[in-house]
Amino acid sequence: MIDPRVYEMFRDIGRDMFVHNLISSHGGNISVRYGDRIIIKRRGAMLGNLKPHDLIETGLDKNDSGVALASTELIVHRAIYKATPALAVVHAHPRRAIALSLVRDEIVPIDNEGSYLLKKIPVVSVEFASGSPQMANTVAEALKSYKCVMLRGHGSFATGQTLDEAFQWTDAFEEVCEIIFYAKQLGEEMIEYRKMSDAYTKW
Amino acid sequence: MNGWMGKILVIDLTAGTIVTQPLDMDMARLFIGGRGLGARLLWDLVPPGVEPLSPENVLIFATGPLTATGFQTSNRFSVSTLSPLTGTVLDANSGGWWGMRLKKAGWDALIVKGRAPQPVYIEITPAGVEIKAATHLWGMTASETCAALGQDNNKRNVVCIGPAGENGVRFAAIMNDVARSAARGGPGAVMGSKNLKAIVIEGSEKVDFEDKERFRFVQYEATKMLKANPITSQALPEFGTAVMMNIVNAVGALPTRNFQQSHFEHAEAISGETLTEKYLVENRSCWACPIGCTRVTKTSHKEGEGPEYETTWAFGAACGIDDLEAIAEANYLCNDLGLDTISCGATIACAMELSERGALKSDLRFGRADLLLQTVEDIAYRRGLGNELAEGSARLARHYEMPELSMSVKGMEMPAYDPRGMQGQGLLYATSNRGGCHMRGNMLGLEVLGLPKLIDRLQVQGKASYVILHQNSSAVIDSLVACKFANIAVADEYFARALTALTGVEYPTGEMIRAGERIWNLERLYNNRAGFTRADDTLPPRLLNEPATGGSAGQVSHLAPMLEEYYRARGWDPNGVPTPRKLEELSLADLVVSA
Repeated sequence: MIDPRVYEMFRDIGRDMFVHNLISSHGGNISVRYGDRIIIKRRGAMLGNLKPHDLIETGLDKNDSGVALASTELIVHRAIYKATPALAVVHAHPRRAIALSLVRDEIVPIDNEGSYLLKKIPVVSVEFASGSPQMANTVAEALKSYKCVMLRGHGSFATGQTLDEAFQWTDAFEEVCEIIFYAKQLGEEMIEYRKMSDAYTKW
Repeated sequence: MNGWMGKILVIDLTAGTIVTQPLDMDMARLFIGGRGLGARLLWDLVPPGVEPLSPENVLIFATGPLTATGFQTSNRFSVSTLSPLTGTVLDANSGGWWGMRLKKAGWDALIVKGRAPQPVYIEITPAGVEIKAATHLWGMTASETCAALGQDNNKRNVVCIGPAGENGVRFAAIMNDVARSAARGGPGAVMGSKNLKAIVIEGSEKVDFEDKERFRFVQYEATKMLKANPITSQALPEFGTAVMMNIVNAVGALPTRNFQQSHFEHAEAISGETLTEKYLVENRSCWACPIGCTRVTKTSHKEGEGPEYETTWAFGAACGIDDLEAIAEANYLCNDLGLDTISCGATIACAMELSERGALKSDLRFGRADLLLQTVEDIAYRRGLGNELAEGSARLARHYEMPELSMSVKGMEMPAYDPRGMQGQGLLYATSNRGGCHMRGNMLGLEVLGLPKLIDRLQVQGKASYVILHQNSSAVIDSLVACKFANIAVADEYFARALTALTGVEYPTGEMIRAGERIWNLERLYNNRAGFTRADDTLPPRLLNEPATGGSAGQVSHLAPMLEEYYRARGWDPNGVPTPRKLEELSLADLVVSA
């Protein structure tokens, strides 16, 4: 039995992801970990329009009938929870971030808010970039050291204590990428305003 | 050796011996330092059956790798022992300068064993380590002792006990740098039982860094966090920790009159705002701390440090007292006599209810501010009724056959957050390894302040996972050793990166938190070994049955389902014992086998 307060949290974050253009109609997925249980979005459900029956509960380790209904990325969420102390995961398809991931191995914010919150977002790459064990392990490994990582050509994964927090990193990340796009379009030399800015690549 | 100093000082007061032993680096990597290292050493040194106030108990003063590095709040030390208040594993933790000085004297830890035949103090200087006679210091207050031993924050720091520790008060504090305290659980009584009055330290050694440039960058980024966070940059400096009074009261989670209510109608009168407006002289900082939550205050009679939130609550709302001047002076007295203000105030609150119900014959009544100072003094010197209160509320209430009136967990008095208005906080108290304590993780951030984000404080499902994460995280912060207030603004990942840059040992955030989980499970094993069971993971019946008031009106703690969820999420069996699989996962299995 899923607490109605948990549903409301999923519904609100899912809707905001859609409104913020972080996903298309049926893209992305979100989950929370409660001990040895995971609550995750139903496969094929629309994050922007979640109903109570779109929340699926299943085991962190152990399969049950929930796996037949859960998001196809369940394997990634499980791997992340096992590798990190995260209690929430947000997976999105932020468009500018996807574009940047095709040309960079890491994305270093140039704006103040992005530097302050994220420092650096590594880009990881796998051959089968949807729901594969290789992808799950690669993403989970990167999230041991970073709260938000980018899977090249696919999307972002962010962790937090709450869905709210993981969503914040995701939305902040897309903003970082948008600002990089704008700055690039200006075509002028950037004026560095941050002390020790070279060190962000070592974060 | 980077981060750690590589050696431990062992002093046996019975034999009068002083020995240096190397720090076991495998142990250090697994348990880090401070509380974790203390718990691991205690596991070997103090087996079950030891009487806490006997010479067989030990005191372990421990620093951590971050100590004395200049990282924000890297001034602290922990002291681990078997608690005379609870019988559980204990570590208490204090800021100031002394912890930094112990590390700069070249020590990761100092273990004190045995009992001196006469009062002594220990002096550690670059010239050597000596055990010296302290008969002339015995009976002195903390401030008198520090003055007599030449306390000077710039070079010579003193840790000591006051009369309460000498007299074996079960919640006696160890005081350092005059008015800082490692107080909860009664480590001062253990120090007194060893006839050890004080430890004086001088030292100016440097800590080595693996990658100092990277460390300083992490520190720089942490500075941004502290400056930007309104709690660490504005609320705590301006109002001290008592800024929480009105906030917690507003949600109906301020325990009042021995937890009979959860809303105090006079909270404003004892709030941080009132303290600042009427009594604040200045705020001070511990070494390497940019926050400065310490209050120097002045009443019409005295000047001193404090009170902070928990103290203001303990002598205030818990006792139904709205006289902030009396509360501040009770705090000054506790500092000087060497008492834990939380247990002291909460035990007085328990005595007030016992008296109002006719079980105890005394003049103590809720609201009687005029009796506060005398009662505190009587406790420290074990005079009259004070001698009974000096045993703590659990023993007191049991003696008068009303054990349910002790608002404690495992014998330790709970602090200033009512579990009926913060469901996670109740689970946190019930499962805390040292008893009713808010410093083993605190749900205030998540359930009230919105740090890092606000969750529903009355939600039950999922609370166990949040509690576990914060318990594990707090075990790490206490082992680094850093201040929980820095951790309000500076997330765990910053500490993990600082630790990695400092030591050269890779600690991804998750691995660092895993070390916290290891420490938590070791402490749990220690308590299991001492006979604690699932039955001890509970709350006073009042919180389970009597509805809260104010902003949480009608609520009770829903502990049972949270506890079920907690054991499963911890990987423990239904009796609350860590499973072999969990111990294997945490590299603790060998420890249990060897025991």
